[in-house]
Amino acid sequence: MSLKDTLKEAVKQMAFKTSLDSLKKKGVQQVSVLGIDRIIALIDEAVHRSLKSRLVGVEREAVADATKAEFLRMLRSNEELQAQKSEVQKLKERAEEEVDQLRRELQSQHQELQIKLDAGDPARASRYEGENAAIAGRVNELFHLLGQSGGAIGLSTVQDKVLELLMEVVAGERKDAEAARKALHDRDVDLLQRRIGKLNESLAHTERRLREVAAMKSLDDGISSVYRDVQGLRADDMQVGRKKELMAEIFKANLQLQKKKSQ
Amino acid sequence: MSQNEGGAGTPAKDHGVLYIGMDLGTSRTSVSASNGVRETVYSMVGYPKDVVSRKLLKKDVLFGKEALEKRLSLKLYKPLEKGVLKYTGDGSMSDEAKANLKAAQDLIGEAIRLAKPRKDELIYCVIGAPAEASMKNKEAIIEAARAHVDSVMLCSEPFSVAYGLEWLEDVLVIDIGAGTTDLCRMHGTMPEDADQVMYDIAGDAIDAELARLIEKHCPGAQFTIHMIKDIKERWGYVGEPSERAIVELPVDGKPTPFDLTEHVRTACAILIDPIIKGIHKLVASFDPEFQTRLKNRVLLAGGGSMIKGLDTAVEKAMKERLGGGKVIRIEEPIYGGANGALKIAHDMPEEFWEKLK
Ligand SMILES: Nc1ncnc2c1ncn2[C@@H]1O[C@H](COP(=O)(O)OP(=O)(O)O)[C@@H](O)[C@H]1O
Repeated sequence: MSLKDTLKEAVKQMAFKTSLDSLKKKGVQQVSVLGIDRIIALIDEAVHRSLKSRLVGVEREAVADATKAEFLRMLRSNEELQAQKSEVQKLKERAEEEVDQLRRELQSQHQELQIKLDAGDPARASRYEGENAAIAGRVNELFHLLGQSGGAIGLSTVQDKVLELLMEVVAGERKDAEAARKALHDRDVDLLQRRIGKLNESLAHTERRLREVAAMKSLDDGISSVYRDVQGLRADDMQVGRKKELMAEIFKANLQLQKKKSQ
Repeated sequence: MSQNEGGAGTPAKDHGVLYIGMDLGTSRTSVSASNGVRETVYSMVGYPKDVVSRKLLKKDVLFGKEALEKRLSLKLYKPLEKGVLKYTGDGSMSDEAKANLKAAQDLIGEAIRLAKPRKDELIYCVIGAPAEASMKNKEAIIEAARAHVDSVMLCSEPFSVAYGLEWLEDVLVIDIGAGTTDLCRMHGTMPEDADQVMYDIAGDAIDAELARLIEKHCPGAQFTIHMIKDIKERWGYVGEPSERAIVELPVDGKPTPFDLTEHVRTACAILIDPIIKGIHKLVASFDPEFQTRLKNRVLLAGGGSMIKGLDTAVEKAMKERLGGGKVIRIEEPIYGGANGALKIAHDMPEEFWEKLK
C-alpha cells in the first residue's frame, strides 16, 4: 500500500458518519466540505516537507557515518548468513522429523477413523439412567387407570393396553438409542475428519518448507575437503625430485590405459 | 549416479578439491579422503535374488556386512577375489564375469559415496588395485570410477602402501590378506611379474589350522570357523606369549575354558615359512648391489600383519636363514593402502589430473 492509500484508510477510519438531518437538528446550517483526496494531499505534503527539512539539516559526516554503519551491518549480516547456514541445516532436520511425526500421526488418525466408521453395532447404544423408572411409572399409571374403571375392562383390553404401552416404550427407546449413537458417531467422525484435514494441511506446509530448505544451495550434502586448490608436490619435500619422477610414471601408465579405453 | 552430468542443475566445481585414496582389496575396500573421512567396507556386493527379496530388502544392491548378513536373499559377489574378473582367451567375458564386473563397479561407486564428496568440489581419486590385476580389469575399474569423479588414476596397491610411508625405492611389501599372502618388490611404480610372489597361506589358512588343532586337542569343544577367526584376531601371536589365551568354548552346550596359547602360536606360525621363502626368492633375483638394502626394507601390511610379534619373528627367521634383515609393520593395516593412495593424489601435479579428465 502506498503512503497515500494508507493515509486515506486512516482518515476514513477516524471520520464519523452523520446525516444532514441530524446536523440540522443540531442547528448547523452550513457545512464546509473538504474532499478526502484533498486532505490526503495536505498530510502527504506536510510529511514530505518535514522529512525534507530534516534531511537538509543533516551534516555530511553523519551521512558518511550512517553509510559506514550500514556497510558494517551488511558485513555482519553476511556473517550471520553463514551461521544461518548450519541453522538452516538443523531446521531441515527438524522439519524432516516433523514431517515424519505428522505422517505417523496422520496414519494413526486414519486408523482410528476407520475403526469408528466400521463400528456400526446398535448394541453399543447406551441406556440412560431413570428410563426404567419412567417405564415403571407408565405401567403404574395404566394399572391405576384400570383400577379406577372398577374392573369394567376385560382382560383382553388390559393385554392390548399393556402391549401398546410396551411397543411405544420399546420403539421410543430404540429411536433414542439410534439417534444418540448416530450423534456420537457423527461427532467423532466429524472431529477425526477435521483433525485429519488439519494434519494434512500442516503436513503439506511442512513438506513445502522442507522442499524450500532443500532447494537452498548451501545445503549440498557431503563434507568439505580441507583443500581449496589442487595441491601437487611441495617444493620443500625431502624427496621431491624422485617423487616427481614417480608421479610422471604413474601418470604415463594411466594415460596409456585411459587413452586406449577412449579410443 | 554420476555427479558430472551436464545440464543446468550441475553446480560449479569451484568450492575446493577433494582427494580420495582408495584401496580396492580382495576382502575389504577402504577409502581415505582429504575431508577427513575414512571408511572401509567388505568387498562384497549383493543383489536381491528375486522380486520378493527386493521388496523385502527395499534395495537394489547391498554392500559389505549388510550384504553378508542378508546373503540368503541375495546373489552375492566378491568381485575382487582372485580370478573372478577373468577374461577368456579371446578377450570376451562369461556372464558370470560380467556380473562380477558390474559388482566391482557398484562397489567402487559405493566406496566413493562413503567418502562423502560434495557436489561442488573437484574430485580426484587414486585407486590402489591388486598388483596382479589384468589390463582389462584395470580399464573396468577406471571406467567405474570415472562415473563418480572428475579424474582418476590407478596404481598398484603395494606401491601406494610403500609411498604412504615415504619408502619410494627398493622396498619389499608383504601383504597378508585373508586368501593370499602377496610379496612384492618395489622399484619404480609398476611391479612386473618377476617382482611378485604369491602364496595361498594367509588368514584363512591360519583359521583352518587353528580349527584343526582345537578339534584334535580340545575334545568335545564346539565351534564355528567365525569363532575361530575371532579368536585369532583377538589372541593371534608368534614368538613369546605376552598372556595366556584362555578361551571359553561350549562343551555339550556348557561354556568351558580352554588354554589355547600354544595352538594359537602354532597356527599363526604357518605364515613364517612362505614369507621367508618369498623374501629369499625376491632378494636373490634382485640387483646384487641392492640386495642388502632390500632385505633391510621389508614392510608388513594387510590384516594378517596384526598378528603380534610377527615382525620380530620374521626378522629372526631372516637372520637365521638369509643372514639378516629388518622388518617394519605398518601402523594401520586397514588404511595403509588408502592413506598411501591419498598421498599420491595429493602429490600428483595439476596438469596430470587435467590431462586425464
Ligand atoms: N588383529 C588381527 N590379527 C590377526 N589377523 C587379523 C587381524 N585382523 C584381521 N585379520 C585377518 O586379516 C585378514 C584380512 O586381511 P585384509 O588385509 O583385510 O584382506 P585383503 O588383503 O584380502 O583385502 C583376515 O584373514 C583376518 O582374519
